[in-house]
Amino acid sequence: MSVTNWRTINIDALDPDSPYNFDLSTLTPSVLPIASSEVQSTANQIRQLLRGGDGEGALRGALDTAPYGADERGKEIHLAAVIEILQSIRQSEMTPILNRIYGSEGGSEALDVLMKYICRGMAQHSSPGSAVSSPQATGFSQMGSRNLGGGEGSGQMSVLLSWHEKVVEVAGLGCIMRVMTDRRTV
Amino acid sequence: MAPPEVHHLFHHPIADHSFSADQNTLAVAKDTTVELYKRGPQGFQLKDELTGHDKTVTGVDIAPNSGKIVTCSQDRNAYVWEPSPTGWKPTLVLLRLNRAATCVRWSPSEMKFAAGSGARTIAICHFEEEDNWWVSKHLKKPIRSTITSVAWHPNSVLLAAASTDGHARVFSSFIKGIDPRPEPSAWGERLPFNTVCGEYMNSTAGWVHDVAFSPSGNALAFVAHDSSLTVVYPSAPEQPPKAIVSVSTQLLPFSGVIWSSESEIIAAGYDCQAYKLQGGESGWQLSGTVATKSRPGAASGHEESALNMFRQMDLKGKTKDDTKLDTVHQNTITKVRVYGPPGQGASKFSTSGVDGRIVIWGI
Repeated sequence: MSVTNWRTINIDALDPDSPYNFDLSTLTPSVLPIASSEVQSTANQIRQLLRGGDGEGALRGALDTAPYGADERGKEIHLAAVIEILQSIRQSEMTPILNRIYGSEGGSEALDVLMKYICRGMAQHSSPGSAVSSPQATGFSQMGSRNLGGGEGSGQMSVLLSWHEKVVEVAGLGCIMRVMTDRRTV
Repeated sequence: MAPPEVHHLFHHPIADHSFSADQNTLAVAKDTTVELYKRGPQGFQLKDELTGHDKTVTGVDIAPNSGKIVTCSQDRNAYVWEPSPTGWKPTLVLLRLNRAATCVRWSPSEMKFAAGSGARTIAICHFEEEDNWWVSKHLKKPIRSTITSVAWHPNSVLLAAASTDGHARVFSSFIKGIDPRPEPSAWGERLPFNTVCGEYMNSTAGWVHDVAFSPSGNALAFVAHDSSLTVVYPSAPEQPPKAIVSVSTQLLPFSGVIWSSESEIIAAGYDCQAYKLQGGESGWQLSGTVATKSRPGAASGHEESALNMFRQMDLKGKTKDDTKLDTVHQNTITKVRVYGPPGQGASKFSTSGVDGRIVIWGI
């Protein structure tokens, strides 16, 4: 008789009713797959807006076109674009912009997406080695006092933290709950 | 508006509570027992204890007409307790589950009850006279995860269930010989057992905590862990619903929901207070909290003597006592239930919380 280690048998695999044998993706909201190239072109359009000085329009555009169905690379591209926008908006403009977005149609959802990007951005920069910041950031940057002392990473972190605070002020704790609950990730 | 009636029963979470039809008896699920309180001159007094379950009791419901109590527990069983001259007589109901039972509710006809469970199953139980035995039939498909809550349609056939797979579903629990043939409604015309009359998900697919049918039974509300409330208006059998209205709130999630009328919903949960929502098919919005202003004792915090203030600063390094929430419940609200005779519009409701309080609110 062969020796079988009964404890290592995955009994869930033998049970036809078990969730192990069930495609869990049918329980999540359906998302349309998007190619990275498409995400890239959207990101470029958004950057165009940003360069034109329309930070709010760029932010709204970026939040409305969040690529839920993109692969890891596509999501990175969009994340980089959003973070760029967040960094370019001045502290004093944050609250008015958020209030305007929240008050508009679908605004609550847009702020949920923004919160997702803020959380994603924080997760990314706290892990060492994932350098999204441009390579020239290693040299001494002459522009802005933001980079003094902490380098690019902590500068981005402080921007994200102040955005986080402002978003919670406007959209409440419910917004954080939705980020944690939502199956559609950015 | 009259201040809410607060009953602090004990320092232990209350999983579920139920009032008898005359509102003089209160059943509270506490740990592995169900405690029965009688209304006395000084609030509710402990009168009886229903012991029998050997794991945490998760649900309790008193049938308004027959006075029978059904309880369910994580020990995977349910008991039906009948009043008798020598006390409460339990009857074990084998739910045939392999996971904990999570919630239980009598059907409005009181011929059946439904028990949700962690086994991706809802047990529909009815009494078989011939065998003198409660029989359990299972609603299984297409549930993919734990059932968190069940709610009956006024016709005692349709059952709504909230699940952690992110769906709120409407099933038929029609049992031949027990139920009269139901009137056709927007939910369905022919309703054999386990017909899925509706399956709804909100945009984030978060856990659904609670469901409730509107008083007419023609709309369904559910609250989910993404701090949202969704109301579904069905149009016709097998057709997409007329309207699905979803409200994303700024609050922490709701864990309980009831309808006070066709145009008003009460929801409460992790924010420790109850909120009113008003609306209809065209849209719903949050219209504020239920009576917290006129709370007794709320004003006492304002009049502080200078001596007291300095004493507090000396003792605690602060002048304000901020160890208390300014809500009536001091912890999460676990269940919201209509208080008063069923069927009519609710003018009062009761909430139970993790803080061991039962509060009766006027709307």
